[in-house]
Amino acid sequence: MSELLIKNAYVIDPINDIKGEIMDIAIKDRMIADSVSDSAEVIDAKGCLTLPGGVDSHTHICGTKVNFGRYMSPEDMRAGRGRAQPHMYPVSGYSVPTVYANTYRYSALGYTTVLEGAMAPLEARHTHEEFFCTSLQDTMANTLFDGNWSVMEAVSDKDLKRVAAVVGWTLAAVKGFAVKVTNPGGTEMWGWGKDVGCIHQKIDHFGITPAEIIEYLIRANELLNLPHSVHLHCNNLGKPGNYKCTLETMQRTPNLNDKRQTLYMTHVQFHSYGGTKWGDFCSKADDIAWMLNRKPQIAIDMGQVMFGKTTTMTADGPMEFNLYRLYNNKWSNHDVELETGSGIIPVFYSRKNLVNSVMWSIGLELALMTKNPWQCMLATDNPNGAPFVKYPEIIALLMSSRYRDEEFAKIHPDTGKRVHLPSLDREMDFYEIAVMTRAAQAKALGITDIGKGHLGEGAYGDVAIYPIKNNDIDPSRDYSKIIEGFSLTDYTIKSGRVISRHGNCLLNGNNRTIWVKPKISEEYNMSNDPEFVKKFERYYSVSMENYPVEEEYMNKRNICIETETGL
Amino acid sequence: MKIELSIKPREKPFIPIEAESITPASFLEKMTEDITVWSGNREKKLTEIFDVKKSGNADSQKDVEIILNGDCSAVKRVGEYMKDGKISIMGNIGMHCGNFMSGGLIEINGDSDSWLGREMTGGEIICKGNTGDYCGSGYRGEKTGIKGGKITIMKDAGDYLGESMAGGEIIVNGSSGNMPGSEMQKGTITIYKDAVLPCPNMRGGICYVLGEAKEILPTFKQTGSIYNSDHKRELNIYEGDYANRSHKGKLFAGKTNKK
Repeated sequence: MSELLIKNAYVIDPINDIKGEIMDIAIKDRMIADSVSDSAEVIDAKGCLTLPGGVDSHTHICGTKVNFGRYMSPEDMRAGRGRAQPHMYPVSGYSVPTVYANTYRYSALGYTTVLEGAMAPLEARHTHEEFFCTSLQDTMANTLFDGNWSVMEAVSDKDLKRVAAVVGWTLAAVKGFAVKVTNPGGTEMWGWGKDVGCIHQKIDHFGITPAEIIEYLIRANELLNLPHSVHLHCNNLGKPGNYKCTLETMQRTPNLNDKRQTLYMTHVQFHSYGGTKWGDFCSKADDIAWMLNRKPQIAIDMGQVMFGKTTTMTADGPMEFNLYRLYNNKWSNHDVELETGSGIIPVFYSRKNLVNSVMWSIGLELALMTKNPWQCMLATDNPNGAPFVKYPEIIALLMSSRYRDEEFAKIHPDTGKRVHLPSLDREMDFYEIAVMTRAAQAKALGITDIGKGHLGEGAYGDVAIYPIKNNDIDPSRDYSKIIEGFSLTDYTIKSGRVISRHGNCLLNGNNRTIWVKPKISEEYNMSNDPEFVKKFERYYSVSMENYPVEEEYMNKRNICIETETGL
Repeated sequence: MKIELSIKPREKPFIPIEAESITPASFLEKMTEDITVWSGNREKKLTEIFDVKKSGNADSQKDVEIILNGDCSAVKRVGEYMKDGKISIMGNIGMHCGNFMSGGLIEINGDSDSWLGREMTGGEIICKGNTGDYCGSGYRGEKTGIKGGKITIMKDAGDYLGESMAGGEIIVNGSSGNMPGSEMQKGTITIYKDAVLPCPNMRGGICYVLGEAKEILPTFKQTGSIYNSDHKRELNIYEGDYANRSHKGKLFAGKTNKK
């Protein structure tokens, strides 16, 4: 059996409360162990920064939406070309690169676990097929429930158990991991060419409000005892003045779980806008952070925007249409039967553009104003804010106020009047970065129990060793070394095997897909529910028998988390 | 300096040759033996594929003339990133000839395949035969096509002539296929004979169709007609494309006899 010993590692492992100690890490049979025999393979970390393998709690790298982004942007494939190497396929693409490019680049950044942010249940097979080829990361998929007719009808009947039964059945059928709600109600209204204003506007034909959908799904999520909380993309993304809607959503969130947050709000940068139109657009990150600091039951990710070319893709169809009207470039719009929709457009975030400059500042403000790093995670909503290869730059921006000032001098000159960033002098340390890039994410996803995101005994042997020496470097001054160090690991180790060394991927990483299966009694099994069955017969383009993702489509090494439910 | 390249008979003549190294710059800077081309998935020496005759000296790219003999219809990317000098092609030439060209002259005596002069910014291409599709266009999905330079086709052009053109000039002495000047922003296209569905979604620039313009899109507005003394024809003037937010394009099309 394989054994590995990492010597002289400067370890930060927030979940086990290790805040920077020189120690050895032993890995035996894929798992972290107390000790290994003398015959173990030895890696000398030479005092370099050693963290648990990175966890990305919100990214779009697999699925039909991503693939359509590739489809409509052949010019994206002109960038990032790489030749085939032993154990590596040829790659190309920048914001919507090939599947292998995504997995290789994530492993070079030290990431070993990623969560696909939005999977339409009907199109789950495609996502699982791409998961299979994301060979160097363990994967999970958020499953979309924002415009699900069965859920909305059950909400309209005020039947919480039925909501839970539909969610549980669908998650198990499509092998999803968590409940994702994208612009609740908005995608259904978009089917009629409309959008919802805020969380209290009624949705046509169902007579319910987004607030009710969110509340019922949160309670159903706890009833099903799922590892992750509801993963919410709020209403009104990207509209000036939307912060009020975000604040109210936060205000209404109950505290129902003492192990993790009750609501995960994603890419909050896009939801923290003040003003009434683009002319008086400004940052309201202070209000959002103020609320977040008072609500321990909420966790967010930044959704940081970085300047340059990228592709936006979301299930939020009406928002993408607004963006299309702004950019007047290519646009794709998609409807997923009774479930959700999606939109995709390529964008360019420019330093010279005032709105883009303010957006860039808001993401950083959110991270810096949130007191508890466990509540604000580092993510760009890849590729919506920026491709994930920009993470090292964001880390450097958070660690160095000098770098922020230098970058701030390069953006639109009027930005200063609309944001708070220049007044913030907080500089994060390696511990906080470790929290924001892996520990908090693993905790928020509820996967620490299965051994992800930490280096305690019995955890999976996922380790990232960065060429950064704590004593030699002052992150505030040497921010370029921070960018360089976090861009390319010396070693990325997954399940006790070195998968990437200086960016060269060495082998197939034995990737797994993590999915949940709530245990539901026969009484609440939706397969027996006549009305639910009728929906398939009447409206769906596939029959109920063909809807669930078969085991053949799944990665054979998958991990199924079975949960005890109140149903 | 004069370089004469004659293609040798090949066992499998359909295997494409990627010859972006056939430019005045590479002959000026490199020894002939060091220049390589790709035949299929194998890198080969230029001398394995071509008979090379070199004569004279040159101080700058301007003094370099390259002559390609034989049927080069499987030779791609000749003259890519060419800055100056001259390339004369005696027979046919393959795809992507004169990509990204910024100066100099390419003269093609036979037919050229698709993507002739893609994304060029300057210089001149003269093709004495027909050309394929996407002549003088941009890369797939990209918003800008050629930005400058001049392409002259003595016979017919294929579909999507000058797609997303952003400058320069294209002249076709014969007809063009479907949708010449689609997504056009700037520059001039002149087609001496017929064209089908000219200039869909054009935002700017000028397009002349001196023969018959078949199926002018309903999103074009006719603003009048003019007698063009240069071409001795009565031409209808259209403005468009109104399907686009910006519709400053001008289309001059020969009058058609409606049945």
